[in-house]
Amino acid sequence: MERVLLIAENKYARLLLVGLFFLALQTTIFNDMRPFGVCLQVMVLLAASAGVSRGSETGAIAGFMIGMQYDLVLTTPLGLCAAVFAFVGYLSGFAQSFVHDSTWWTRMLLASGASAIGMIILPFAFTLTGATGVLNAHVLVVALVVALFNAIFSIPVERLCRWALAEPAGTR
Amino acid sequence: MAGNTFTRRRAILLLALTSVILITMDLRGSALINLTRSTFGILFRPVESATRVVTRPMQNAWNGMTHYNEVVDENHRLKDLIAYGEGANISAIASVREAQELLSLNGLPTLAGISSCTGQVVGQSPSNFSQTVEINRGSECGIKVGMPVLNAAGMIGKITDVYNKRSVVMLITDPSYSVAVKVVNAPPTTTTTTTIPGTVIDPLAPVATTTTTTSTTTTVPRTTTTTGVPGFTPGVTLATVATTSVPGASPQETVATGSVGPNQPGQSTKSPITVPAGLDLPLRETGALEGRGLTKFPVVRFVENQTRFGAVSIGSPVITAGGATSLAPPDIVIGTVSKVVKRSGSLGPILEVSLAANLDNLNFVRILLYQPTTERVSAP
Repeated sequence: MERVLLIAENKYARLLLVGLFFLALQTTIFNDMRPFGVCLQVMVLLAASAGVSRGSETGAIAGFMIGMQYDLVLTTPLGLCAAVFAFVGYLSGFAQSFVHDSTWWTRMLLASGASAIGMIILPFAFTLTGATGVLNAHVLVVALVVALFNAIFSIPVERLCRWALAEPAGTR
Repeated sequence: MAGNTFTRRRAILLLALTSVILITMDLRGSALINLTRSTFGILFRPVESATRVVTRPMQNAWNGMTHYNEVVDENHRLKDLIAYGEGANISAIASVREAQELLSLNGLPTLAGISSCTGQVVGQSPSNFSQTVEINRGSECGIKVGMPVLNAAGMIGKITDVYNKRSVVMLITDPSYSVAVKVVNAPPTTTTTTTIPGTVIDPLAPVATTTTTTSTTTTVPRTTTTTGVPGFTPGVTLATVATTSVPGASPQETVATGSVGPNQPGQSTKSPITVPAGLDLPLRETGALEGRGLTKFPVVRFVENQTRFGAVSIGSPVITAGGATSLAPPDIVIGTVSKVVKRSGSLGPILEVSLAANLDNLNFVRILLYQPTTERVSAP
């Protein structure tokens, strides 16, 4: 029991569970709700929010873990989304470090922007691994819609990430 | 601070390296990656199912808000289609059965002879860049990678991943999808009606006037080959049917008098069957169908620019070509030609194909347990 509690205290273990919950939402409700024909991407929002809330290094590791979970349910090469989401997490954390006094709307903008960049990088990464026909104008529509949606939900998700990625009390 | 930077750089480098290794392993078809995916699928499935149950009301509310008018319109349209299609369906079933009997009589393969497995679509890809759906049948049903998947309307895709109780179907619109197809181009036909001189057609005459007409289907001038079957001339209607104009009826309406019609004693050499000339049959040309993403129609490339084949007409059916290396058997309906993009020189046209199957509303699908002859394992 004590061992389970120790594992639960680990921030990345908590993030894995949160990621699993988000993955379930991604493959069910957000898979069916497709405004403007675009599948909303809460997994990339989680990666970006992890970076915004806990910095670039934690964001990169969190993004990698979230992307890996996403890769396991997709048919794309394993590790591709992990690499892109790690970059998204790193980017959002890196950009956050330049904000002097961050407010709710700066964090929202950062999460939204990082999500949009991630949605643009993803088809490039697909193309690098041999996929064809994914690089077209539709990518911009996807990036725009995902950015808008992720901006709306960024604040609660960022708080969730702040909680999940909090260091255990003894190590602070 | 320097140590912290070093740790950060090392962490980022490790992540990048891990990604590259995993991608390489997956692209090379590593069994370990497949096992990991399969295991994760087994663990994740209950979580997903529970979430689906919980979020179902929200999904229904969303669909109600966004698709209500479409569903009502579609319902009306489908009711009309059902009424229209019922009659055609009966004759089509009879034709298909006859064609299958004919093919089997000649020892040719037919779709009816291929085992199949019915499955239901349980989910689609949550990605914006790949068009795949997941079905609830897997290797337990005999499904293997590459097998063609179709629904009631026609071809929808092929199997790309197989697990024990589920499979992933790559849709025909996916940019990675390609299959050999043939385009059936109907030859241009003209119908000439010859009225035998000496007969007078008077529409005002009160008494029924007997006229004799001969309908001949002709095509553009070509060399006609006689098959040599006694009593049959290809492309010509053999029987001369006497018709009687009925007062008050439209000119197209005729009534057979039966004096020299079929099934008359002593008239066995005369038959109303029209034997089509070999060259008048619909012409076929092969090509490769490629998906172009969800928002664009698939296209057929590599269609040869042949004079004999002529210009491809809009609405020409596109069906699978089959063959020893093709993953799909011949004669599965894919769709019709919706646009012809002509190219200069000897380059053949590019044909846009409007799919027969509606990929937005997939439910029950049939997986043909078909493997091309080149991939079948021969018995020892």
